[in-house]
Amino acid sequence: MSIFLEDITKYFGSQKVLDKLSLKIKKGEFHVILGPSGEGKSTLLSIIAGLLKPDKGNIWIDGQLVNELPPQKRQIGFVFQDFALFPHLTVFENVAYGLKARGVKNNKLKERICFYLNMVGLDMYRDKYPPELSGGQKQRVALARALAINPRLLLLDEPLSHIDAWQQEKLREDLKQIQQNTGVTTIYVTHDQLEARVLADRVSILHQGRIEQVEPPEELFYQPKTGFVANFIGATNILDGYVSKMNDNNVKFKIKDSDLTITVKKYPIFQDKRQIRLCLHPEKIILSLRPEKENHFLGVVEDIKLLGITARVNVNIRGLKIKAIVPRKHISSITRQTSVWVCFSSDVPHPLCGRCHRLPPHLRRCNQCRENKQKSVEL
Amino acid sequence: MRVLHLKTSQTKLFDIGISFIAGLFFTFIVLVLITLMTTTSLHELYRQMRSSVVISAVWISIETSIAVVLLSFIFGFPVAYLLALKQFKGKPFLETLIDLPIVMPPLVSGLALLILFGGTGLLGKLLNKWGLNIIFTKKGILIAQLFVASPFFIKTVREAIASIPQNLLAASATLGASPFYTFRKVILPLSKSAIWAGLTMTWARALGEFGATAMVAGCIPQQTETMTIAIYMGAMSGELATASALALILVVFSFVSLLVFKSGLKR
Repeated sequence: MSIFLEDITKYFGSQKVLDKLSLKIKKGEFHVILGPSGEGKSTLLSIIAGLLKPDKGNIWIDGQLVNELPPQKRQIGFVFQDFALFPHLTVFENVAYGLKARGVKNNKLKERICFYLNMVGLDMYRDKYPPELSGGQKQRVALARALAINPRLLLLDEPLSHIDAWQQEKLREDLKQIQQNTGVTTIYVTHDQLEARVLADRVSILHQGRIEQVEPPEELFYQPKTGFVANFIGATNILDGYVSKMNDNNVKFKIKDSDLTITVKKYPIFQDKRQIRLCLHPEKIILSLRPEKENHFLGVVEDIKLLGITARVNVNIRGLKIKAIVPRKHISSITRQTSVWVCFSSDVPHPLCGRCHRLPPHLRRCNQCRENKQKSVEL
Repeated sequence: MRVLHLKTSQTKLFDIGISFIAGLFFTFIVLVLITLMTTTSLHELYRQMRSSVVISAVWISIETSIAVVLLSFIFGFPVAYLLALKQFKGKPFLETLIDLPIVMPPLVSGLALLILFGGTGLLGKLLNKWGLNIIFTKKGILIAQLFVASPFFIKTVREAIASIPQNLLAASATLGASPFYTFRKVILPLSKSAIWAGLTMTWARALGEFGATAMVAGCIPQQTETMTIAIYMGAMSGELATASALALILVVFSFVSLLVFKSGLKR
């Protein structure tokens, strides 16, 4: 089932939680809505499920306008953050709840419940009550319960946030597998980037009630289009400056409050002397004892933090602080106060030009470029 | 270690103080019960229990209080549901209105009901047309007890329903359950304990009701004379033996019922 959210606006009192939010989700897609807490992610899911009414805007499911359809008739499975299992019913009865409410007869019902309990690996726990289960098991029951009604859309509201870290990875893998097997269109809300990276076919970043950027994770996490997205995903090297020289294939970019000038691949947005913000993704920086690539600057290591198999290294290049995330094995010879070359190729920095939706490759130009082009055509 | 020792001594002192005050209170209750028990001999109690006045009063009290419990459930549950789950204008006003019979002096409630259901009252005139007379009848007892006791049920159940996590109701709706199915399968089972507690409180309040009942139903022996009214009448007319016997029966009956209810809740 495809979903189209059209200009959804929602107020709570005088506070605007969702602001003309529009989003299209394809059939069978695993779509992750990522954003900080309190940005309206759960509100959006509640609106899609019919638990809340939008103040403005339309919800289309498979071309059908469902604004006035009550939640009972939307056939949408909802997995809640706090599981929302019925504490007085057994695991079996919880999963059977939706089917019984729809009048499915007992012989068919048992078969279907067993199928879904097997799918989430909880067949052995069918006679247990929710308080007897772990967080991970409860969420599996909630998932089975939501899937048992054969939903045309599955909504998951931060389903892993109340689960122990050691159970999260397995549940994440199972969740992806189950979604692929069932093919149900899924909207998954989270503030955890890792979940978005692992699970999503496409990721939307929600900020101030609007979708800031929608793209597949590999593009979104390496090509953030706005300062907020870049900061949120941890691409914290944001360089303010201006284009100091235009060449045929690249430009020279002078970094503000620094004497550094870097070489950057030529983007259509670039114009001579134009003020621009660039994002230099920490994971695309190479730290070396020898100069490499088109851009290489000698800096001093200020801090090293180990993050599992990677390390975050803070380097000071003549007053400019740069963060690099490098494989841990590459920094064996680097310690604090060591001099190190910060290297990156010219196609690593990219402009933060606020473009929202990714267009087909032949149309990939940012809004400002299009406006400029339009102006030049008009002139 | 010194600090720890000091803390322990303080805790002990505090516990002794608290226990002493609680002990005083329990002693007070026990003294009241002992007084009741010692006023009547077993022989006298047995004799009184066989008298038609006592039997009638006990029976009327049980009959009306159970009927009030049923009526409170039928009329009170929708009110509790509405106040717990629905948001509407004037809700605080209605909530206060429900609390009012609890704080109103029973005599005032009785007087208002007497006027309302009396021959010239708004409802009294209407009911008289259909041949229904409320005043000085058992129906009057029901009306008075219902008015005074049902808010206890409504308040308890309203709080229990309001404490059911909203996500459970939302989950039920997304699973395709109608509001009535959700009511039967989620709300009712999850507020079961509160329903029992509310019904017990209502029953206890109805059983002990005096002021409003006396105003609306009067004190007609073997017709509208409940246990509490019979106790009052006995005490006022010098038949202390009858009053004490009835009082003892009332207390024992209430105590045993509450004990049974509490053990049932624990199970």
